[in-house]
Amino acid sequence: MARKNKEAQVENVEQVVAQNGSDPALATIEAGAVTPGEADIASFIDVAERLERELRSIVIGQEQVIRELLLALLAGGHVLLEGVPGLGKTLLVRTLADALSLKFARIQFTPDLMPADIVGTTMVSEQAEASAGGSRRIFTFQPGPIFANIVLADEVNRATPKTQSALLEGMQEHTVSVGDITHHLPRPFFVLATQNPLEMEGTYPLPEAQLDRFLLKILVRFPGAKDLMRIIDTTVGTQTLQASPVASGEQLLRMSETARAVPVATHVKEYAVRLLLATHPDQEDAPEQVRKYARYGASPRGLQALILTAKIRALLEGRFNVSLEDLQAVAYPALRHRIILNFDGLADGITPEDLIEAVIEETDENG
Amino acid sequence: MATLAPLRPEAHNALRGEQKIALALLPWHRRLSLQQGLRWITNGLVAGLLLACLLLLVSRFIAFPTVLFWAIVVIAVTLLCAAGFAIYTRPTLAESARRVDALLGLRDRLGTAWEYRYDGSSLPALQRRDALEKLAAFAPVQSVSLRPGRARLLAMGLVALAFVLLLALPNPVNTAFQQQQAFQNSLSRQIAQLNHIRQLIDSQASTSQQVRDQLDKILQQAMSQLQQAKDANQAQLILAQAGQQLNQLRDPQAGVKANANANAASTLQSSSNANVKAAGKALATGDNKGLSNALQKLASQVGSMSADQRAQLAQQISQAANAASGNPQLASALQQLAKSVADGNANDIADSIKAVENASASASAEQSTTNAINQAAQALQNTANAIASSSNSGPNATANQIPNSLVPGQGRSPSNSPSSSQGDQGTGGQGDKGSRTGKSEQVFVPGQVNSGNSTITSNGDSGTVQQGTSVSYAQVLAQYMQMAHDAIDNSNIPPDLKNLISGYFDSLNRQK
Repeated sequence: MARKNKEAQVENVEQVVAQNGSDPALATIEAGAVTPGEADIASFIDVAERLERELRSIVIGQEQVIRELLLALLAGGHVLLEGVPGLGKTLLVRTLADALSLKFARIQFTPDLMPADIVGTTMVSEQAEASAGGSRRIFTFQPGPIFANIVLADEVNRATPKTQSALLEGMQEHTVSVGDITHHLPRPFFVLATQNPLEMEGTYPLPEAQLDRFLLKILVRFPGAKDLMRIIDTTVGTQTLQASPVASGEQLLRMSETARAVPVATHVKEYAVRLLLATHPDQEDAPEQVRKYARYGASPRGLQALILTAKIRALLEGRFNVSLEDLQAVAYPALRHRIILNFDGLADGITPEDLIEAVIEETDENG
Repeated sequence: MATLAPLRPEAHNALRGEQKIALALLPWHRRLSLQQGLRWITNGLVAGLLLACLLLLVSRFIAFPTVLFWAIVVIAVTLLCAAGFAIYTRPTLAESARRVDALLGLRDRLGTAWEYRYDGSSLPALQRRDALEKLAAFAPVQSVSLRPGRARLLAMGLVALAFVLLLALPNPVNTAFQQQQAFQNSLSRQIAQLNHIRQLIDSQASTSQQVRDQLDKILQQAMSQLQQAKDANQAQLILAQAGQQLNQLRDPQAGVKANANANAASTLQSSSNANVKAAGKALATGDNKGLSNALQKLASQVGSMSADQRAQLAQQISQAANAASGNPQLASALQQLAKSVADGNANDIADSIKAVENASASASAEQSTTNAINQAAQALQNTANAIASSSNSGPNATANQIPNSLVPGQGRSPSNSPSSSQGDQGTGGQGDKGSRTGKSEQVFVPGQVNSGNSTITSNGDSGTVQQGTSVSYAQVLAQYMQMAHDAIDNSNIPPDLKNLISGYFDSLNRQK
């Protein structure tokens, strides 16, 4: 019956077309005139391309990382970067801050780092009194490094959980509480935390609940020979590379809003849901590998991450709609830190990427 | 979700968005619907042919005469179901949009544009325009092929070939079944004919009740057994057994007696005396009443005859008595009449006349019995011939052919049989001298020759095998054995010879 109604609607449309003919106003669109909405989109694509180009010119051999970083940035989410030292993670974040003319702060996490070292502290300071001609001591809040637009939390797993929680509170709430006063963090606010996969002894791995707060987890891989040659050419010579400003923080915020308007068809949303559910070992549609090696699957935050980053990817690819391919491309960074392996998975050397690959292969695109 | 301000009133924009996307999608939708329909029909055809092939295959093991009809029905039904299913599951416009996306690699552009066709905000409008631009680069006719895939074509070809082969190759099970059906139909008709003859014989008052009862029993038994017969050979054996039973009812001397009657009648008819001539005529035609009248007149006439005339008359009658030597009762009665006529004693003449009348009546009754038996035997023969004819029309004709004569002593037809007025057939033969209708036949036991004058025909009418036909050895042996034993039992050959003959056929029986 629903099908017949839809068919009837189409027939009615045909009748209306025959009766009303074409609309001159619509010809304006057909002629390619830029509407305000279209201008925003055009601006989005332009800025994103320039930003990406700028980053790639400074950071060699990490095209995939740059693309995923941009996805998270434009989606307004935080990123967990994982890679061995010396791959340019700090350079990447600093370059990003330069390109966006945003305030950048780097926090090196160590075991003796305190929460106040991150969020700031209240200090006693002297304030001159104009009437009395003297000075008085007052408590002033000294903001910590977290009060920046882009915060690089280096080796976040080396600090104690108490210190980690200070950062994570800011990531989640966009506020910090010092004493009885709540201070708002600037906007835009991005945290790019890093983890060293090599030296895990004596570290405090982030708990799963905290990992879930990161929109994406990006693996920074070792560059290839060609890229290494380019690194030599660009970094050990006499030239110094400095990123040029491409956009401002306000532009970034507008771009995030624009990206959220990208339409997502119902069957694409259903596919995203099926992907997410397939990461849970107790679901009957979950692949065999997931049922065997996964302890927990991704939370609904993972679904939000999938859709948001897929929207941005679609725009970066020159499309105005989310496709199944977008979801499959962003599934790895969006879900890899949300799937918890069981003992068998850890013992057999299974990685979350293996499970995500199985999920993508075995999840039916047509439902 | 944050949206930008619409360009113009939403309803106006929505209508246009839907118009454009629907118009662009419709040709693709029709083409995809047609493609799906053709695929379903192709699948239905393949499935139907497969099921039909299965039916045809089953019919090669189990008799299934109407298999072709059901095979066609199955094909038609599956085609109809496939067509119905194709119509029922034809894609919606939304499904068509998704299929076109997948087909052309548009990455869900059309599907999203169709879903957001009513949304007048800027980004969906932009998305629709992008989708339509991308779609415009393709044409449904080029992109959606109606030709079946190679695998489907191959499957169709294979099942079609299998179907044709199963149809074209002969089906021995069905052929045998059809033959069996034809045989049963023919048998039913013949049984009805036999029943008709049985009823005719039963209504013949001239035949004694005892004979009628016996004939009725034999024919009923034969009919009952024929209804259970599985094949022509079995039917022929049943008929042969019935024929043997009929033969046992025959008087071996019936033919001799009939000849004697005929000879006596002929002799009387050659007399110069009108009454004697009339008596001879009545005796020839079996007219007992006419015979009685003629003899009564003769008796009256004798009273006025002289001694010489009586002597002459007596001599004629005596000649007739000699001619009737094969029928002792008639010969004796005629001799008695001749003597009494010669003596001129009226009482003796009356007694003699009664004796002659009794002899004639007895001969008539025997003739009626013989006629009834012949009628029954002819009916059995006709049945055997009819069964043989219907069997001969099938592919295994040679296996079902029957001997020309089921009943020893019966020829193919009276007109083709050699007639003989000889006496006994000698050793091993039955002495059936034919019926009162004037034809007599000689029966030969293969390997034995009549001791008297014999006629050996070379046209294949002798014995029990028709020229150019073949009969199973067991059947021929059984029949000849029966014939031989009957001949032994009804003849006066020495016991040693009887044992020799029995031993000969026993040894043949053991060898088969």
